[in-house]
Amino acid sequence: MRNWMSMLTLNSKLALGAVALGAIALFATPYPGSTVTLDAKELALTVSKDADRVEAPELAAWIIEGRADYRLIDLRSQGEFAQYRIPGAVNVPMAGLIDAGLRRPEKLVLYAADAVRASQAWMFLRAKGYTGAYLLKGGLEAWKDQVVFPVLADNPTAAERTRDEKRRSMSAFFGGQPRSASSVSAGGAGMPGLVTPVTPALPAVAAPPSPMGGAPARTKKKEGC
Amino acid sequence: MTAPFFQYGMFGDETSLVVAFFIGIGFGFFLERAGFGSARKLVSQFYLNDLAVFKVMFTAIVTAMLGVTYLGWIGWLDLSLVYLVPTYLMPQMVGGLVLGVGFVVGGYCPGTSVAATATGRIDGLVYGLGIFAGMFTFAELFPWLKGFYQAGSGEATTIPGAFGIPYGIVVFAVVLMAVGGFYGAGLLEKKFAAAAGE
Repeated sequence: MRNWMSMLTLNSKLALGAVALGAIALFATPYPGSTVTLDAKELALTVSKDADRVEAPELAAWIIEGRADYRLIDLRSQGEFAQYRIPGAVNVPMAGLIDAGLRRPEKLVLYAADAVRASQAWMFLRAKGYTGAYLLKGGLEAWKDQVVFPVLADNPTAAERTRDEKRRSMSAFFGGQPRSASSVSAGGAGMPGLVTPVTPALPAVAAPPSPMGGAPARTKKKEGC
Repeated sequence: MTAPFFQYGMFGDETSLVVAFFIGIGFGFFLERAGFGSARKLVSQFYLNDLAVFKVMFTAIVTAMLGVTYLGWIGWLDLSLVYLVPTYLMPQMVGGLVLGVGFVVGGYCPGTSVAATATGRIDGLVYGLGIFAGMFTFAELFPWLKGFYQAGSGEATTIPGAFGIPYGIVVFAVVLMAVGGFYGAGLLEKKFAAAAGE
């Protein structure tokens, strides 16, 4: 055996090594497939501390300030997205989430047509290691309620007046109109807290051109020897 | 610790440029050490009397492929996050042919021309200027070429994905191709070197 090996040139030995490694690789499964790992304790802590969500007025403030350190992801269908979107949002349907070119450390704020769908996407992204994924608390409804058509106090105290002023300017920025507390409670029939506020049709808000559009845009990279 | 490090946020855009710089320097160094800073050496492969380019490039492919396979297998590398060039079959075939013609005529490919320029070769520098002239012309003609440039699905197609062949079999087949190719290259070199010597 030793004699046989010593007769081989270095190139032949390397070639043999490569063939052996290649043969072992026949049994390799280098793609982990769709399995994911979850740190249950960390997730539970994040959720219990409410550290998984962003309030609608907070998001509105980011947009007004022109902050660029986050990405707003609209998980609804293209049609719904075309009808109305939060300014700056990009449309990434659920199925395209992983191929959308999102980066793991990026701060991603998610919203969908309903809270369950957004939560599913959030869990999915967290499981895949997107540590900067957040939910828009209350989703699009909260956005309409608290930012575009906020409720102002009828007989405001000094503190409420300052708050309402802020709400008014925020609402104006996003093309909305504040509502008075009395008009909201009028439809409540004794249960004002549980009644869905009557919101007028949302005005069209022009969002900046999305880098992803409906389907994730692909950029070509140049490579060569 | 799992790679790709950039995808897992271990460093940002700026650091990635520094990393790319050092990888580029290393790549150029090994091209030069393999003798690929010389147009004569490079063009010899088309006369079949010195197939060093084929051997070096195929060795690099096999080494990288085995490395990536094993790192993925033991879980140190998430292969699903490794960037793959999108497949545009026809444009890439035509592009490959254009590059091949340029390689034969000019004696370099883009990377080797930069390595040649770095060692002070004037033909490498002229080739480099040609690359920039080509890039400029391409950019100016882009509105007309755009349709063809983007023809195809744009999905990153892989051999295991497209043909449904298990990953390991593709790896083993490529290794066998390489070893067979090296043996064949040796025979061709002997034959054509003797012919050139006559």
